[in-house]
Amino acid sequence: MNTTYARLELLRTLRDYVSLLFIVALPAFFYLIFGAAQDFGDARLGDGNVTMYIMISMASYGAVVATSGLGGMSAVERMQGWGRQLGLTPMSDGQYVAVKAVVAVSIATAPVAVIYVLGAATGAEATAAGWVLSAVVVIVGSTLFALWGLAFGLAFRSEAAVSAASGSIVALGFFGNLFVPLSGTLLEIARFTPLYGYAGLARYPVTGGEVANTSGGPPGHDALWTLALNVGAWTLIMAVVTVLLVRRGRGRQ
Amino acid sequence: MSTATTAALELRDLTKTFSTRERDSVRAVDGIDLLVQPGEIVALLGPNGAGKTTTLDMVLGLTEPTGGSVRVHGQAPRRAIADGRVSAVLQTGGLLRDLTVAETVRMIASTYATHRGVQGVLAQADLATVADRRVAKCSGGEQQRLRYALALLPDPDLIVLDEPTAGMDVTSRRSFWSTMRADADAGRTVVFATHYLEEADAFAQRIVMMAGGRVVADGTTHDIRAQASGRVVSATCDDPVTTARRVRAHPAALDVGLEGDRITVHSSDSDSVARLLLTELDARDLEISSGSLESAFLQITAAPEQEDGR
Repeated sequence: MNTTYARLELLRTLRDYVSLLFIVALPAFFYLIFGAAQDFGDARLGDGNVTMYIMISMASYGAVVATSGLGGMSAVERMQGWGRQLGLTPMSDGQYVAVKAVVAVSIATAPVAVIYVLGAATGAEATAAGWVLSAVVVIVGSTLFALWGLAFGLAFRSEAAVSAASGSIVALGFFGNLFVPLSGTLLEIARFTPLYGYAGLARYPVTGGEVANTSGGPPGHDALWTLALNVGAWTLIMAVVTVLLVRRGRGRQ
Repeated sequence: MSTATTAALELRDLTKTFSTRERDSVRAVDGIDLLVQPGEIVALLGPNGAGKTTTLDMVLGLTEPTGGSVRVHGQAPRRAIADGRVSAVLQTGGLLRDLTVAETVRMIASTYATHRGVQGVLAQADLATVADRRVAKCSGGEQQRLRYALALLPDPDLIVLDEPTAGMDVTSRRSFWSTMRADADAGRTVVFATHYLEEADAFAQRIVMMAGGRVVADGTTHDIRAQASGRVVSATCDDPVTTARRVRAHPAALDVGLEGDRITVHSSDSDSVARLLLTELDARDLEISSGSLESAFLQITAAPEQEDGR
């Protein structure tokens, strides 16, 4: 791991105050609206309550927006010739992706921390293990979406790709059961989308796999292995796609 | 360091074909053979689209050749890059605008196991005074010197420069080349691409002229001039018709023209034509001139396109 490179990258990202404000403040605002301000927040769900469930959802969303945005930005910088500059150094594609992923995850920690503090102050409830494990899954799992943003940027080769990546995250957020609880066929489809597995896995330490159901029936259930398989499969797919696209990006454009 | 028998750069029948949507494929590099010895300063000279950058991309392992082979100090390009044997100053782009000059150097330095030191290359590229300036605020010349500083980090045996002075004003151009010359004097092999004739002429010991993806001429600037048009001998004579007849019979006379009593001879061996004119034909006011390098360049680079009927 090239720590000097990662440190300079991190410093560079932290200098972009405007983007940073959106990355941290917007998901926190969403949590306050969709979570803390709702009167059904005290309803029980697994070992915690609904406020906790929504808190984890919004933290996941915040982390993913951060990592996918940074991933997209690094694709843009590669297209502006930095990829060719790095192509003249011994740094391998894998090392580059690793450094970028670490930086993205470090940044993603910020919105997650803010939302968890807000959650604790506004009535989110879970066991100690539930708090810690869900946070760890949210942060570590957001790596996948750094690759998602990177792949978008590399595939579409323009700055618009960053917007496209962000847009796709909002769409995936709905399928990931982050904003509105899904049911029926839509839920069946949603189970195969990347944010569903990730957010489900993050909630698992609290809910034990229970899926909120607002249509009146009994709560649904996801087995741990299906969520893990979802995350594992998408991580593998995105890693392979990204490395292939990075390799293509070294040539002239 | 390399042994004396290993070439700094060896290209064998190198080709690169790009596929495009409109046509089946474009042959950007069409069979190049080139051998560069350690310590040489070589200019790749040619018009835009001649295949210079594509060739250098293959030398640097940034693009895979379609056919043929590249060896840099006997190694495959990616290997030579990883070992810090070769580095390059690329055409425009390639810098992060929100980093400072020193941060950029530190970042790239961190990718090498061993390097020459951040302060050292900043000083050598004359960047010490702007080390804390954001790249976005640097002039074109300063950005180019920064790319050069990055290229110096691994202390390469071979340095590749692709249009290194494009976009620079005359002063920064001059100072860039004086820095490069000091570097070359210290024994580094330098291969640079340019479409500035004067630059190739002033700085390179050897010019490899490219057009249409091929090498169309290879030699010193002197050789290139001669290869293109030989020299022009002109003289005044009392009996132009007889003189012209005698000169036309000379094997080295390529083209003979008459204008009044002035005869003009394009010749591949100007000395012997001059001797004939002065000793046997009583010509006077004799002048020998070499064709301009500019016209040589145009003549040579235009040739393969005519062959193809383009």
